[in-house]
Amino acid sequence: MTMLRVRDATVRFGGIVALDGISLDLNRGEILGLIGPNGAGKTTLFNCISGVIRPDHGSILFETNDLTYAPPHERARLGIARTFQNLQLWGSMTVEENLMVPMDALGRRNTFSDALYLPFSAYAERASSERARAILHVLDLGRYARTPAGDLPAGIQRRVEIARALAMRPRLLLLDEPAAGLDAQETAHLADLLHAVRERFHVSMLLVDHDMSLVMRVCDFVYVLDFGKLLAHGRPAAIRDDPKVIAAYLGEESKKPAGDVATVATPREGPPLLEVDRLAAGYGGLEVIRDVTLSVRPGEVVACIGANGAGKTTTLRAISGMIHARGGKVTFAGKDVTGSSAERITKLGLVHIPEGRGLFPTISVEDTLRLVSNTAGHEVDPAPAFDLFPKLRQRRRQLVGTLSGGEQQMVALARAILSQPRLVMIDEMSQGLAPTVVRQLFDIVRVFREQGIAVLLVEQFVESALDVADRAYVFEHGTIALSGPAVELRNDRKLVTGSYLGTAVDATAIAANGNGHHIDPALMEILSVRVPAKVKRALEERAENEGRPAGAVVVELLGKVDDQ
Amino acid sequence: MFRVLAALVAFTVLARIPVGFDVGFKFDAALAVIWAFGLLSLVLLTGYVGQISLCQATFAGVGAYTAGLMVAGFHADYLVAVVAGVAAAFVLGVIVGIPALRLRGITLAIVTLGIALVFDRYVFQDHAFEWFTGGTAGWRVDQATMFGLQMDSSKHLMAAYIVLLALFCVVALLMVNLHDSGAGRRLRAIRDSELAAATMGVNLTRYKLLAFGMSAAIAGLGGSFYPLVAGSVSPQPFWLFTSLQFAAIAVLMGVRYVPAAALGGVFMAVVPDVLTRFGHGTFMGRAYDISYDWFQIAVGVLLIVQLIALPDGVWGDLRARALHAWSAAGALGGRKVKVA
Repeated sequence: MTMLRVRDATVRFGGIVALDGISLDLNRGEILGLIGPNGAGKTTLFNCISGVIRPDHGSILFETNDLTYAPPHERARLGIARTFQNLQLWGSMTVEENLMVPMDALGRRNTFSDALYLPFSAYAERASSERARAILHVLDLGRYARTPAGDLPAGIQRRVEIARALAMRPRLLLLDEPAAGLDAQETAHLADLLHAVRERFHVSMLLVDHDMSLVMRVCDFVYVLDFGKLLAHGRPAAIRDDPKVIAAYLGEESKKPAGDVATVATPREGPPLLEVDRLAAGYGGLEVIRDVTLSVRPGEVVACIGANGAGKTTTLRAISGMIHARGGKVTFAGKDVTGSSAERITKLGLVHIPEGRGLFPTISVEDTLRLVSNTAGHEVDPAPAFDLFPKLRQRRRQLVGTLSGGEQQMVALARAILSQPRLVMIDEMSQGLAPTVVRQLFDIVRVFREQGIAVLLVEQFVESALDVADRAYVFEHGTIALSGPAVELRNDRKLVTGSYLGTAVDATAIAANGNGHHIDPALMEILSVRVPAKVKRALEERAENEGRPAGAVVVELLGKVDDQ
Repeated sequence: MFRVLAALVAFTVLARIPVGFDVGFKFDAALAVIWAFGLLSLVLLTGYVGQISLCQATFAGVGAYTAGLMVAGFHADYLVAVVAGVAAAFVLGVIVGIPALRLRGITLAIVTLGIALVFDRYVFQDHAFEWFTGGTAGWRVDQATMFGLQMDSSKHLMAAYIVLLALFCVVALLMVNLHDSGAGRRLRAIRDSELAAATMGVNLTRYKLLAFGMSAAIAGLGGSFYPLVAGSVSPQPFWLFTSLQFAAIAVLMGVRYVPAAALGGVFMAVVPDVLTRFGHGTFMGRAYDISYDWFQIAVGVLLIVQLIALPDGVWGDLRARALHAWSAAGALGGRKVKVA
């Protein structure tokens, strides 16, 4: 039975037709996938259904109700819930409170009886709290109930968003890129979770995501958009083999067996350009990385891979001076730059493109590129960047904020190359981008190498990263677990999957931590009161030797203190 | 239950403090509660809901003038005057809330600043509104009745103070309850992410207007007692600068905490008076004169120091430190750590 009916939806932004007469049907109990290249109109369609924007033309029907002009809270009342790609939890409130808001927003309570704490309100309060705990228990989030949502790692926040949406008792759940920023192991876990959620909560789902492994595993039916038009729809297996979809979205390369092209790793000679020696850094009371030792030679592409929270991003930040190193030494181009300001490091020719790209949304493409001051300090000509990215030449007058994600990443890369760097560090280049776009960006990285620019990559797409890189470092628990030439790592599949991709990791460990993080919340609490690094490391070592959570070790030790 | 007890203790202690002092300090004490109401209104609007307003003194002023009009113009009981003042402020608050449905941040600040300016110049000080403001002299309220009892502003200052303080304790208690209740969570959800709040079923129009209305009503409740305390109403206490001072002192004391409003009220009423009384004389052979102007400079300097040293406000950060110390002490005592 059809639950959601979109008919002939059209949206125009100025002169651009973002959505051109799309029709879509979602049946009760179904998980429907929506995929397409960046700028294809997926997000626009998603926003139309969730009520953030209104279509210029066409209609949206949910069961028997016309949704076309209903405000967001009206849709919530009808049973439509959503999650957000850029996490929108209420950060200062606890996880439990986050779940209680949608629950009692739909109830019949009023502000004055709440303020007076009348018996009726008190009763409703207890009922909501109990239901929130039940949902958290099902999603294995029970232990975070009293933690402020903003303090949790991103992977857990994603699950809390799903829990919050479920607290509304929705009949339709809209999921906006739930796998963004998750690694392969977490994505697999998410797929299982979504299936479980459908069974336990009887909801239908509409899923927008780039991660084909998730879409293929979870969805019953897939719609493919391109340039605001419907390109194809059908069962996942049929979509995967559809030549039109392959051409527009997946690209030819997806058909080729992995690992045969292999850029030949030519050993680079000469002294290293960047040398990092036993670097340690962290935030607040938490030490995130320690003993990180790595090097990058001139013109070399080096990849950093590892689970979320393993310390890759923190390493880049500590190298580029965005955060202060707590120990160790960073040498760049023969100069000791440990503790130097970010500005000085940039002037030496080390450019850092952070996660989220660090662009200014209200400045045009051309002005963004002109802002680059090279080491000499005068303005540069953006022409070479336009030669490298012809697409940007067409869009030179457009504001950066209005570009698609892939185009924005191109602007960031173009800006980096104009400053004539010797080393570019790129953090999560492919996050939230379609496979074809990701491939184009990796081709640019190859161009960087041809021009003699060294690249240090942090990447979630291990395969693509290892294809382009000369060497790679595998991060684990805030330090480097493994390193070697990319070709070797790629062939040594068991090694990589064992430590990282998660196929070999036992399921109980994942269930215990959820996010592949090996930081136990109880331990986090203790760490946040500034335990000396030495003591902390001893604790972690002991926990690992005994094969149990660090929190358990701490509790046992505290027990001994009591006994004495 | 703990909260009710805390409010009762606070009331009994605070009610006795001004007893031994002269009339000037008794006036300061009553004024402190009136300003505390203004700051409390910002705790609701900015601390809970995350909306900016630079016209809270205007709401208090509308409450004051409405109360003055009711008592001096219509000879109503003071209780009726207070109800009318609160209602008038509530209505104005809802009207000011309408632009807030679309605006946020700096734009909303400028719109509310404009409203404060308009009321300051063209309502409270304009001939066209003399029926409302009582002309240049303002309303004189030296004879009023409350619950049928005579309330003479110069003789019954302590009675007015006690009534004000009792009302403040009740409203503060309701505010703390509201914070942890369902409605409070919805308001805080708007502060943290409007987008998520709307899609999770919170009616933004309703709750934003309600928040502005309630906030204005709280400021108006304090303001409507002003004629009783001061004996007359004049535009000066409710001018633009008081609104700005509310915003500055609310941030200084901790805009998310109810007790910070009381602290700020005392600071706003007592410190300038102490400065003007004892701010001149001779010290080590040199004559000095610290006038009221120094108060404004002090507020500015304190604000800068606070933003660096105590980013969550004076009350917020000291409370967090006290809680931390307390829990640390508790953990040590409970666990009986022995040094072998």
